Amino acid sequence: MIPTWRGRFAAALLSALISSAALVVARDRVQSATQTSGPAYGVPRPLPLEVTDEVGRRVKLPREVKRIVTLAPNLTETIYALGLQDRLVADTNFCDTPPAAKWKAHVGDPQNPNLEAIVALQPDLVLATTSINRVETADALKQLGIAVYTTDPQTVRGMLDSVQHMASTIGEENRGAELVGRLQQRLDALRAQLSDRPMVHVLFVVWDQPLITIGQNTFIADALRFAGAESVVLSKQQWPHLSIEEVVRLQPDYLVFTSDHGPVATTLADLRARPVWRDLDAVETGHVVNVSEEAIRPSPGLVDAIEQLAHEVHSEAFAEKRENRNAKFATRVTPMTLGRAGQECNQCAR
Amino acid sequence: MNAATGSGAPATSPAILSPRTPGVRLKVEQASYAYAATDRSAPKFTLGPTSFEANQREMVAILGPNASGKSTLLTLLAGMARPLSGRIEVDGVEVSMLDLRTRAQRIALVQQESELLFPLRVWEYVLQGRYPYGKRLRFESEEDCLLAGNALAQVGADALRDRWMDQLSGGEKQRVILARALAQQPSLLLLDEPTQHLDIGGKVELLRRLRRLADDSRYTVLVVTHELNLAAEFSDRIVLLHKGKCLRVGTPAEVYDRALLEEVFEAPLDVEMRESGRPRVILGGNH
Amino acid sequence: MRPLTPRRVAWICAGLGVVLFAAAVISLRMGAYPISVVDIVKTLFSGAVGHWEGIPSEYRSIVFNIRLPRILLGILVGASLSTAGAGFQALLRNPLADPYVLGVSSGAALGAIISLIVAPHTPGAIQLAAFAGAAATTAAVYFLGRRGGQLDSATLLLAGIVAASFLSAIIMFLMTTLSGRDLRGMAFWLMGDLGSTLPTNPLPWFEGLFAVFVLAAGAIYATSSDLNLILTGEQEARHLGVNVHRVKLVVYIAASVLTGLAVSVSGTIGYVGLLVPHVMRMMFGTDYRLLIPTSAIGGAILVVLADTLARSVVSPTELPVGAMTALAGAPVFIYLMRRRVR
Repeated sequence: MIPTWRGRFAAALLSALISSAALVVARDRVQSATQTSGPAYGVPRPLPLEVTDEVGRRVKLPREVKRIVTLAPNLTETIYALGLQDRLVADTNFCDTPPAAKWKAHVGDPQNPNLEAIVALQPDLVLATTSINRVETADALKQLGIAVYTTDPQTVRGMLDSVQHMASTIGEENRGAELVGRLQQRLDALRAQLSDRPMVHVLFVVWDQPLITIGQNTFIADALRFAGAESVVLSKQQWPHLSIEEVVRLQPDYLVFTSDHGPVATTLADLRARPVWRDLDAVETGHVVNVSEEAIRPSPGLVDAIEQLAHEVHSEAFAEKRENRNAKFATRVTPMTLGRAGQECNQCAR
Repeated sequence: MNAATGSGAPATSPAILSPRTPGVRLKVEQASYAYAATDRSAPKFTLGPTSFEANQREMVAILGPNASGKSTLLTLLAGMARPLSGRIEVDGVEVSMLDLRTRAQRIALVQQESELLFPLRVWEYVLQGRYPYGKRLRFESEEDCLLAGNALAQVGADALRDRWMDQLSGGEKQRVILARALAQQPSLLLLDEPTQHLDIGGKVELLRRLRRLADDSRYTVLVVTHELNLAAEFSDRIVLLHKGKCLRVGTPAEVYDRALLEEVFEAPLDVEMRESGRPRVILGGNH
Repeated sequence: MRPLTPRRVAWICAGLGVVLFAAAVISLRMGAYPISVVDIVKTLFSGAVGHWEGIPSEYRSIVFNIRLPRILLGILVGASLSTAGAGFQALLRNPLADPYVLGVSSGAALGAIISLIVAPHTPGAIQLAAFAGAAATTAAVYFLGRRGGQLDSATLLLAGIVAASFLSAIIMFLMTTLSGRDLRGMAFWLMGDLGSTLPTNPLPWFEGLFAVFVLAAGAIYATSSDLNLILTGEQEARHLGVNVHRVKLVVYIAASVLTGLAVSVSGTIGYVGLLVPHVMRMMFGTDYRLLIPTSAIGGAILVVLADTLARSVVSPTELPVGAMTALAGAPVFIYLMRRRVR
């Protein structure tokens, strides 16, 4: 090798200089490569439309929205309700309403969808919602140059507005207006029927062990009000914890359980066997209702669930409606006189 | 010079391994110390003004019962604390004024080893003694390895070179710690109760070795101990401490006065003079 | 007697560097979207020279905006955590010490939660707040962990554990009063997540981070001779001329900076700081002049591989990186432990 110290030093210096120069050049190139100004995809498309989504983010849209990816089950449901499922290229693992949604391509779960998979699908629009998706996901997609529209439904009215916004963003305002109009009509009719009835006091049980219920500012609380029901618990928190003693003190008229996931008491018989619970008025009179979790999402199907719940807790106001029930409703809201939650209630005798 | 240490020891010129300057090696002048637990409470311990000297090739024993101030004196000699009054000089330089590295090049302290956290080989341990020479982040040179090897040879631990530290016996570990101290090439070698965990054979062997180091390699050796007879047998000078006071400094024969020793050690003792001129202490009557 | 030489250090690090490079290549290859190695190389090359013809834009997006940043981040975080772990193990004289034992990660988590409450949508806020939390905790534990004006290992450890528990309690309290949305983001942060959002121009950001890493790790490396001595006993080290007080302070600050850096960009990824130094010790010995660089590279390798596994094992779902580091690291550790011959 190089014999003298001076020669070695010179060689080292020279190679250091060359590597630094190469690094500087590469660095500049890489820097421009990672900057995502402009479109991320091959052929540049015109981007005439810019909207602001429900969390205040500016979204640049292509003229035609033909490829949609949804990141939450309620958004998928909305797309189907709008009749736009042909444009839906992918949804999440959790999207199961309607059942056809399960056969779409999946990008992962709503909390942590796979960014590469989304990029690979080349969507025109990605739909996200604050109720289940993370801010980081939407930020990351925006960095990659993908249009993300985030909805933020806080109330039932807000959900209807979201449906309208989503439809407009996709370019189908008319469909949106139609759907929202129908839903609003049903809600108005319901309100009319319940107008002279006092509010029923309910305890909405999210989880029974520990006992968790909903706060007054939640989406669910608002939905309950549309059904003529009011949560007995007034709390500013989203998911307040409660002790069973407090329930005994409050003595709600009805207990509403969510089902489908988790160790919640599934039969009235179970509740009647539990100490303290069995002495509650609501349990003694059999005023226990089961609501499937899917029904209380901010999606069009919510209106079905609201109607059904109203039928349960205000049965006197709907004397003639038993015959009008159809199978679709039965799986969403069932009184717990008999049978386990989620099953069709054939023998509901009341 | 190395004939006594056994085979395998490389022959080196004394100049490489022996400490450097001649003359009075250690000079302690009226050094005293007070150590208080907090600012407000009374001083916890004091060492009254103490003076003595030690030259090259001398072994000095600092003798006294427990809590007599031996450890305090050792701390002062090692430069880890500044004396409240007086001076301590090594090779003419005030010890507590030295910076850490220079001090480590002059003074080496041999203590009971703390428990090692991770396994270490003997030669690695001894090589650490070369730390005071060179930059902070240093890689050992060939000279360092040579000197470490010599240090091991000087303590007769050459065969232990590749063993793991935590597999050594008490005596072997003692020798290795001593070797690390020697690798520092100090002028002054301080040892704090080195015979504590050794049996009588080990004690004698250690002190013989220290004596040889003093004689042949011209170290100045200072041993803190409470072993009366070993101190008398091997040291040139004794510094007798009692309750923080330096009672007497001199040769063993001068210091070992029966009444004095009985008072200091609070036990009935008898002092015999042997032919070598060194005294021997035995248990006295009335026991 | 074969003492450690700079050349030996260089060779071993070069070997490990090759392994790291291979891990990075594998990681670049893996992902939900299939891109062949050839195409990856072409895309990288195009990125370096700036000609984009013939390269589909998804390739560019995926390689440069998704995969490469994750790999770089993984290298940074892995190297920082392992170096900090090695430093803390020496500082605290405890082989079970990891970078989080002194509460730095809890402080960072608290900063993160507070930023989620106060400024949920501000980009970069969570990282800054996390680092601020880490810095504040470092200072607090320093003052609690002193004894007689100097850092005492046992007191420091106690102070750190107390701080960690206290901060965790506050975090739990806050989490039960936060709205549901913020809870989710925090859960991801606590599990460790290398997919954090990058600023629009990520290169200067990366450069800044790597600069901090080099400074802090370099500071620790400069004390590695001192640390070797301190590990045989603090008193002994002092008598050999080591400025023990200053070394401990330097290591404490530098290791805390490294931990804060790692945690603020990727949340708490566990086991790296604990396992990697031990594995490197078993493979290459306990000399810190070699241990620091090997731990850094080894940590980078572990995190990159763990992240690759996390991304691809049940694609398209992603598993948390922290679970993967434990799964990947623990068996290697056990294997080496059994093989150790003395």
